[in-house]
Amino acid sequence: MTAKISTLCLLLACAGPLAASRSLETTYRTAGSAVHAAFDEVREHLQTSSAVFRRGRTEIIFGTVVSSDGFILTKASELGELSDVSVTVDRERYDEPVLVAEDPTWDLALVKIDANDLVPVDLAAVEEPARGSWVVANGATTRSKRRVQVGVVSANTREVFAQGGTVLGVQLKSGDDELVVESATEGTGAERAGLTSGDRIVSMDGKPIESRESLIEELKERRVGDTVMLGIEREGASLELEVELAGRADVFGEEATRNDAMSGEYSERRTGFPRVMQHDVMGNRHFMGGPVFDLDGHCVGMNIARFSRCETYAIPAEDLRGIVDQMVGGSGKN
Amino acid sequence: MAERPAINDKKAPAGRADLEAIQSLLREALPDARAATVCIKLDQGSGSGVVVSEDGLILTAAHVTGGVGREFTVLFEDGRKVQAESLGLDSETDAAMARIIDKGSYPHVPIDRDDRTKLGDWVFSLGHSGGFDKARGSVVRLGRVVRMANSTYQSDCNLIGGDSGGPLFDLEGRLIGIHSRVGQRLPENMHVPMSAFLDKWDEMSKNEFLGEGPFAKKPEKGKGFLGLLAESHDGPGIRVKRVGRESPAEAAGIKAGDVLLAMDGEKLSSRDDLKALLEERAPEDKITFDLIRDGAEESITLRLGSRDS
Repeated sequence: MTAKISTLCLLLACAGPLAASRSLETTYRTAGSAVHAAFDEVREHLQTSSAVFRRGRTEIIFGTVVSSDGFILTKASELGELSDVSVTVDRERYDEPVLVAEDPTWDLALVKIDANDLVPVDLAAVEEPARGSWVVANGATTRSKRRVQVGVVSANTREVFAQGGTVLGVQLKSGDDELVVESATEGTGAERAGLTSGDRIVSMDGKPIESRESLIEELKERRVGDTVMLGIEREGASLELEVELAGRADVFGEEATRNDAMSGEYSERRTGFPRVMQHDVMGNRHFMGGPVFDLDGHCVGMNIARFSRCETYAIPAEDLRGIVDQMVGGSGKN
Repeated sequence: MAERPAINDKKAPAGRADLEAIQSLLREALPDARAATVCIKLDQGSGSGVVVSEDGLILTAAHVTGGVGREFTVLFEDGRKVQAESLGLDSETDAAMARIIDKGSYPHVPIDRDDRTKLGDWVFSLGHSGGFDKARGSVVRLGRVVRMANSTYQSDCNLIGGDSGGPLFDLEGRLIGIHSRVGQRLPENMHVPMSAFLDKWDEMSKNEFLGEGPFAKKPEKGKGFLGLLAESHDGPGIRVKRVGRESPAEAAGIKAGDVLLAMDGEKLSSRDDLKALLEERAPEDKITFDLIRDGAEESITLRLGSRDS
């Protein structure tokens, strides 16, 4: 967890052109069309193996094709309700996608469309790309054509801890009743598990909880999406409830920093991932969910969170392989 | 002089081979560049910098150091932590120097002394974006020089808070600029070119505060803040009556009852003597008192604060 610190970066008061300057035409800039043309071979992979989720005419998120028979992986928290959502792969539009599985740890949703001859991404064992390697991901798209956006692997692949730690999703009372639930927060695992006002928390995964500090200590050891067996006392009876944990910032919000203010539309769920590969491809929250390719067209990851103006996180291919096997396998496909 | 990488003479990469050329140069240059890129931790925030000599000379931005003679902590990517002190700066170009105080041998990068960078060159930026994060390391971004003016380069390597003062490199790992400022929304990223450093190298090395530009404010004489009240008494020196809470005097350990004999070697016999001497000093100046406490003589050195803050 990184403590909140202020960082130095002067903002230009007025973004006027520099005096007596010479300027590179837009097309030759890194995000320009002349540079992107050099990635045409890799673009073909985006064309066939990335998906576009639209609600009506609005693009909401990209997806990654993981099987020829219509399984698509995308970012769960951006997807929302699937009614009136369509999915486009290559030039084909598929209606009525079905939600098959979700993985709260990675913020993933597995969706099935009625298709048979899709080209899934190649997740075959490739080495993790070295820092400074080119990566190619979805840029702005049209109905028929996927476009590229390019960048490089820019930091160490690592775990990103949930901002503010993990939480059950409850408000606790104060004073002597510090382990008694005041209320369960809407949309959290605590609410789904049926935790309710008056419940007293007594244990977690069999370990006695005696104070708010010991509760926090236990939560520190766990990740977003983990499920705990929460022992409670309710009206004299002892119960155990299965509660899925969430990130504090995802449940209770977070105060925007100055860096956030200059980062455009970043992902709401952007921390709390077991492992991420970081790159500098430009985009916003709606550009997540699609595959990330190297120059060989190997899928090296899948975009999962836009963190800031210069930082995007992808789930590394190595982790993605296991996740796909588990989610598709668990869907009763075979 | 070595040849420039051929890729820089193409308007755009033509295909796979050109992209690979950029990639392999970048990968090769990165380890040394990363090792020399540091996070600068100040009281009020954090910035970046880069080491350019074995004994620990750091180039950074004037708005990061903020002044001459300031002490701060510097962190290398591997977590090594050392103390540094800011040298001179140019408040008009945003160039600044600092030096690692701890003796040692430090990873460093070469400087482009020949102004070889041209519009459209492929470049990469490093910096401790958003502050130091050991698991993440410093963050690299690849881009091109998209605009050039006398004292500024603009690139499309996106910068964010914490990158300020960090290095911009050419594809051969030579330092060509220092990150200065960004557009709030648009991807406009400004860097101080090496020429702005080389032009003022000697002055900055000698702790000079140059110019009256927007990037740093010169400490004004007479604005220094000490935070004590002292008066004449029967005997040499002046006796401290009160020490202000959270003042530089308190931080240095001066206590009520201490008798100040001299400041920077000048004898003190009245309150006005002290006042006159302080009129000649500015915030952040170091001053030394010779004093008597409980009958014993000692000396205390402290750095003046600012009346404005």
